[in-house]
Amino acid sequence: MLVLGIESSAHTFGVGIVENGKILANEKEMYKIGNKGIIPAKVAEFHARSARRVIERAIAHAGVSLRDISGIGYTRGPGIGTCLQIGMLSAKTLAYRLGVPIVPVNHAVAHIEIAKHFSNMKDPLAVYVSGGNSQILKLENQHYAVLGETFDIGIGNMLDNFARAAGLNPAWGSTVAKLALRGKFVEMPYTVKGMDFTFTGLLTYATKQIGKVPIEDLCYSLQEVAFSMLCEAAERALMLTKSKEICVCGGVAQSDRLRQMLALMAKEHGARLGYAPNEYNADNGAMIAYVAGEALSKGYSVPIDKVDIEQRYRIEKAKV
Amino acid sequence: MTMGMNLVNEGAEAKIYETRVFGKSILVKVRQPKAYRVKELDTSIRVSRTRKEAHAMLLAKSKGAKVPAVLAYGKYEIYMEKAEGILLRDILSNADKHVFEQAGRELGKLHNAGIAHGDFTPANILVKGGKNSKIIIIDFGLSTFTSSEEEQALDVLLMKRSIGKDQFSSFLAGYSSYAKSGIVLSKLAEIEKRGRYQSRTLSSAV
Repeated sequence: MLVLGIESSAHTFGVGIVENGKILANEKEMYKIGNKGIIPAKVAEFHARSARRVIERAIAHAGVSLRDISGIGYTRGPGIGTCLQIGMLSAKTLAYRLGVPIVPVNHAVAHIEIAKHFSNMKDPLAVYVSGGNSQILKLENQHYAVLGETFDIGIGNMLDNFARAAGLNPAWGSTVAKLALRGKFVEMPYTVKGMDFTFTGLLTYATKQIGKVPIEDLCYSLQEVAFSMLCEAAERALMLTKSKEICVCGGVAQSDRLRQMLALMAKEHGARLGYAPNEYNADNGAMIAYVAGEALSKGYSVPIDKVDIEQRYRIEKAKV
Repeated sequence: MTMGMNLVNEGAEAKIYETRVFGKSILVKVRQPKAYRVKELDTSIRVSRTRKEAHAMLLAKSKGAKVPAVLAYGKYEIYMEKAEGILLRDILSNADKHVFEQAGRELGKLHNAGIAHGDFTPANILVKGGKNSKIIIIDFGLSTFTSSEEEQALDVLLMKRSIGKDQFSSFLAGYSSYAKSGIVLSKLAEIEKRGRYQSRTLSSAV
């Protein structure tokens, strides 16, 4: 069964094609944030212009024909409304034209499932870290239960915000990571409550130090503190669930330092850390196609007139 | 330092050893270094948390709350009296309602003293004795010095999520001995209404 998946929850318009669990194509176009961040209306316009091109490229790359597609998946949420709309409409149009079933996919579930697929794990503790989300999850009765999460903003958002305030370009986490390589440690506020954590206090503090402390030191310490908070919360969850597997996924899972820290933590408890290759940690269509394919193989799809989006589609509400 | 001590428990942050001093059993809680943290951060977290935990226990005790006595503390370790009993968590379904009432009263005492426990669950309450059992509150590792109603409400919320409905009613009966309990409970209602986490509370209640 050949399934095409569309992802458009934030800055990336991605299209993936998966055949029975095997990824044949993963094409994407990313809105350039420069030093400004994401402007919802502009990104939606960008997606609308990219849609056709990215779909055609994915089809060509997979070496299949549009007519061979037997199912469509799309991101229902969570994400930016205007962006989700474009992906949903593209998916709905395709499903309607091809007369194939359509499957709405929870973006967070897709990140976790693709990481599990690549790390060959069945029931790991999941650490999902991206721009808008930072959660620690475990599967319970076919739903991902949130054991811990951010009380305010996502870790990626925090790093991006700092990068913007410091005038870095491109203004996001990977630039912070580069500068961090040459930094040394300065104290910053550290807030973990059980398995939950907050990032705004840290962000405000670090932002106020810009210009007073070398930028490399700020980048280094911001990363070290934020990642340590995640590791501590994940460690507590690991001890609670007695899990022997952890997978880290989402855009921030591309960070080498975060992976290294989680691996060290996992090792202390005799657990293994897994993650997907980077192109599948960043937002992508393949993960949507993959989950839609799994759902279709179990006979799940929704009637085309019931297709919608939900900006605040909480992960625990999605059936897995 | 840990020679002649038996490891009795291991948490995410600390190891707990038992040893004997003048024939009496005491516990030593030692905060462990974490390889994933850079050394500066690791030391600062362990030192400040150890000190805060010891201070919270000492203050709670001085205000008449039922907590283990702190005998001494160092940079990374706290020496404390060994409290006897069974964890409320392990006898939750059989526990008498006055145990929950006492738990509520003890939390009220902590809040009155300006301490939020931070992890107030049946896993951190020891129950001793049969019919007229007494309780002892343990593990102040996540406690904070605050009188914020938000933090106090979070203590109550954690308990609410961990015990049954009737048990929680008994708990509230005890907690009402705290003068500001009414304000805390309206804060609790507000927290539970917050959109982002509503379904999470529901799902964890399943």
